[in-house]
Amino acid sequence: MTTELVSNDVFRAFLSVLTGGVAGIWGVVDMIRLARLRNADGRDPVVHDKRFGYVIGAFVGVIGVLGTLRFNGVM
Amino acid sequence: MAVAQEGAVRAPRVVSPINPANAVTASRFLCLPPFVWAMHNGYHQWATLFILICGLLDKVDGLVAKIFDCRSVFGELFDAITDGICYGFCLLLVAYYGWAPVIPVVTILALGIANTVMRFVYGKRAGRAINYKSYANERLVGYTGFLIGFATSGMEVTFFYWAYVPLMVITIAHDAKRMLVDPVPPAEAAA
Repeated sequence: MTTELVSNDVFRAFLSVLTGGVAGIWGVVDMIRLARLRNADGRDPVVHDKRFGYVIGAFVGVIGVLGTLRFNGVM
Repeated sequence: MAVAQEGAVRAPRVVSPINPANAVTASRFLCLPPFVWAMHNGYHQWATLFILICGLLDKVDGLVAKIFDCRSVFGELFDAITDGICYGFCLLLVAYYGWAPVIPVVTILALGIANTVMRFVYGKRAGRAINYKSYANERLVGYTGFLIGFATSGMEVTFFYWAYVPLMVITIAHDAKRMLVDPVPPAEAAA
């Protein structure tokens, strides 16, 4: 068994695609879900929880993309 | 006849705790020994691979539960407990080996334990087996899996760990009110 699975460059590229890809899609999907709930009744606890969860999801997405950009020296 | 059919429709479906979805959930524990081995030997890529498999299995169990129609409250609780044990253990390990900053890890674990305690209190208030569904916490659990991967791969570790802490504090504070103060929904609404 070798100590590394792939070269460092391939590993970095894999991490960037995985993190940036998942975070980007995740953030966009949660923003769309949040937009779809804009006319829903906010007094309903389930709607309130969903809205809160989607906001957190959007933040997670932004953090993931920013982290990926930092990792690649863009920021 | 009509009454009998109606009764049959309303009868709650009993799902055995030994089912394919829970088997997939339990299999996540098998990722821990090789993860420890990789960490101990300093094999960053192998450790990342094992935590990736553990995270993927977390997604697969929900899919399996859907395919085999074996969703249950026990399954949801077992999934949440498995998340806590697997991710909690891995977080401790990456902090122990110095691959992640200690202060955010301790904060995350303390808040995770507080969240678990509140879930038990919520179950006690409900007086039945119930899993509090937190949309925000679901997202943070996904982030936690990535956090361990960031530590094993050395990807912007400080940035990702410190960015996580305020999100978790806000989410736990929000969920604390929902679990400890707000009224528990009736059984039909919670199902």
